[in-house]
Amino acid sequence: MTVKSIAKTFSVNQRLWTLAGSAFAGIGAMLIVGWYEGKQVDAALERATEIQRQVDVANEMRIANLQLVLAAMDTIIDADEKQVEPSRLKNINESVKMLSSNGSDLRALAVELGKSADLATYDADVASVAKAIQVDLKKLVESGAPEEEYGKLDDAIDGAGERLTNLFTTLSNGGEKIVNQRVREANQLSNISLYVQLGCGLLAIIAMAILQTIHGGAIRRGIEGVRNSMQRIIGGDYATPVVGIERGDEIGEMARATDVFRLSAVERLDLEANLDTERRQSEQSRQSREASQQAEAEALQFAIDSLAQALNRLSDGDLSANLSRPFRDDLERLRGDFNRVVGRLRDTMSEVATSASSIGANANQMRSAADDLAKRTEQQAASLEETSAALEEITSTVRNATSRAEEASRMVSHAKDYTEQSAGVVRDATDAMGRIEDATAEIGKIINVVDEIAFQTNLLALNAGVEAARAGEAGKGFAVVAQEVRELAGRAAGAAKDIKALVTRSSHEVQTGVDLVKATGEALTRIGDDVLKINDHVHAIFTSSREQSTGLTEINTAIGQMDQATQQNAAMVEESTAASHSLASDAETLNRLMSQFQIRGGNGPRVVDAATAATPAKPSPAHGLMNKLAGAFNSPTTAKAKASGSSDKWEEF
Amino acid sequence: MSNAIKQSGAYLEIVSFHLGDQEFCIDIMAIREIRGWAPVTPMPHTPPYVLGLINLRGAVIPVIDMACRLGMKMTEPSERSAIIVTDIAGKLVGLLVEQVSDMMTIKGEDLQPAPEIIPEAQRAFCRGIVALEKTMVCFLNLDTVIADELAREAA
Repeated sequence: MTVKSIAKTFSVNQRLWTLAGSAFAGIGAMLIVGWYEGKQVDAALERATEIQRQVDVANEMRIANLQLVLAAMDTIIDADEKQVEPSRLKNINESVKMLSSNGSDLRALAVELGKSADLATYDADVASVAKAIQVDLKKLVESGAPEEEYGKLDDAIDGAGERLTNLFTTLSNGGEKIVNQRVREANQLSNISLYVQLGCGLLAIIAMAILQTIHGGAIRRGIEGVRNSMQRIIGGDYATPVVGIERGDEIGEMARATDVFRLSAVERLDLEANLDTERRQSEQSRQSREASQQAEAEALQFAIDSLAQALNRLSDGDLSANLSRPFRDDLERLRGDFNRVVGRLRDTMSEVATSASSIGANANQMRSAADDLAKRTEQQAASLEETSAALEEITSTVRNATSRAEEASRMVSHAKDYTEQSAGVVRDATDAMGRIEDATAEIGKIINVVDEIAFQTNLLALNAGVEAARAGEAGKGFAVVAQEVRELAGRAAGAAKDIKALVTRSSHEVQTGVDLVKATGEALTRIGDDVLKINDHVHAIFTSSREQSTGLTEINTAIGQMDQATQQNAAMVEESTAASHSLASDAETLNRLMSQFQIRGGNGPRVVDAATAATPAKPSPAHGLMNKLAGAFNSPTTAKAKASGSSDKWEEF
Repeated sequence: MSNAIKQSGAYLEIVSFHLGDQEFCIDIMAIREIRGWAPVTPMPHTPPYVLGLINLRGAVIPVIDMACRLGMKMTEPSERSAIIVTDIAGKLVGLLVEQVSDMMTIKGEDLQPAPEIIPEAQRAFCRGIVALEKTMVCFLNLDTVIADELAREAA
């Protein structure tokens, strides 16, 4: 139903499908509504049938209840038989069973009616009735009870049975009403369903009619336009554009294809017209070209002739050859170029001539410079010779110093050894002094003994004298002897005293000697230390002498290298002299060649000042120098080889 | 004994010894023995000049410091000191002297009496003065020097 708003760019296929879609939608809606309403009606009817069944059950139960009560009444009436009739008992039992088993249906009905509260006492009532009839009544009957008992029981049964009957009646009536209501509702539903289906069908028909009008018209108009255009093209009308090329559907495509046909026909017509025009133009141009070619050939011939003449002059060395007459317009550039080339050549040649003369002058300068260089190289060689001699002296001096230092070192080490030996001697002397001291002490002891002996002898002599004196005349001779002995003892004591004094003095002297020897030892030790220091210094002197020697060797090497460099310098000087000579002769040749060119109109051949004729190469001054150098370095070991090498080089040179 | 010397008149034998700087001498006949210094055993309650006792071959004799006895400084005993054992009035007494210097024989007239200016009590010590070439030697009277003392002790 929304198809109406869709744009006209829909294809034919889509248009047909919108039509079909609206038809399908209408029919589908009718089917769905019919099915749904049918379901609703079925459900309503089914519910009504169920309720009807429950109502029937309630009616049956009401009948069973009545039968039960009636049976009880009958039994009470026939109580005289003293027993219950078996058929009646069976009837009672069936009724009770009926009442108790169909309680569920009854409850469902009550729920449907909204009266479930009424069923609260139902089970109790049924049970009390059943008990009263099946048990109490039977008992009463069999026992033949009095009337009052029956009456009481009858009241109870009646009360309960009345309540049950009322309940069943109420439920039955309510159920009937509901059934009727449901049937009415079902009828109403089926009516509504019919109306809705009719509405849907009508709507679908209307939609299809509208869509048919729209889409059919569009397709028809498109096809008609294309057909008209194609007829116009067949009729030869290529100018009118095809209708409907802007459309987006299949008709649009057809229109575009038709337009392509039309355009190709138009292009073909244009092409034919162009071809005709071109053919005419080419014919005209061919005629004019032939005329101009004739004139050009003549002008070209003139240009070639002039150019050949000028080139001939140029080859003869005349650089003043110019093309003065103008050429044809397009060859005029060639004339200008030629004139420029000749002018440029003239300038260049003039500059070359100038340069050649200046080269000649420079070559002369170079030659004199080379001679100067040779002289200086000679002076350098002389200096080297002197240096070498001085170096020789220094070398011998240093060698002498080195040997002296070595000898001094040796002597110092000897002195050190002597000092060490002297230390030993001093030690020995000290020991000897000690021994002398010990001996002196011994002597002292002995002297003491002698002194003691002298003293005792004196005493003995005195005693002897005393005894002699006491002996009187008889002892006189003995007294003399005793006196002699006393004198001897006195002399011995005096001698002992003298010796003691001497020994003491000698001991002092020995002590002094020990001190002196010790002092000598210390002095010798100090001398030894100093000698060691002297040894270090002498060693340092020796080492530095050796280093000097090494340095001198390096200086010798350097002098050798300088000698080599001087040789190479001399060789180079020789080469540069030769080169300057050849340069001078080359400059002359160049000038001679340059004179062949006539540079400025009228100028005769110009000869640049040539260098003085190359003098024959005189013996190199460096040569003699080398020989001197070789003589100067003869004494060092390296010089000889170098000198011989240099002379070889010179010969080669 | 002194009488005997005077009477003989001819010769007199003496032994001289040193006490400090002075030289003394005694008659040789009073001397029994001369011996070297030996330690003495001191005696209680004796005068300072009595040094003590020595054992002389079994006999116990007293030793007297002569210098002290003569009123001079106490002698310092040394190995060279000597003990002159004398027989005074029949008793042996040791005299400690510094040094026995000489044994000589003098003429009787060489012994000159001590000058009389010295009091009698002091003069009794000295029997005379022997004048030698260099020195003068005092001739001690041992009887007065020692014997009196011994007698007093005995008393």
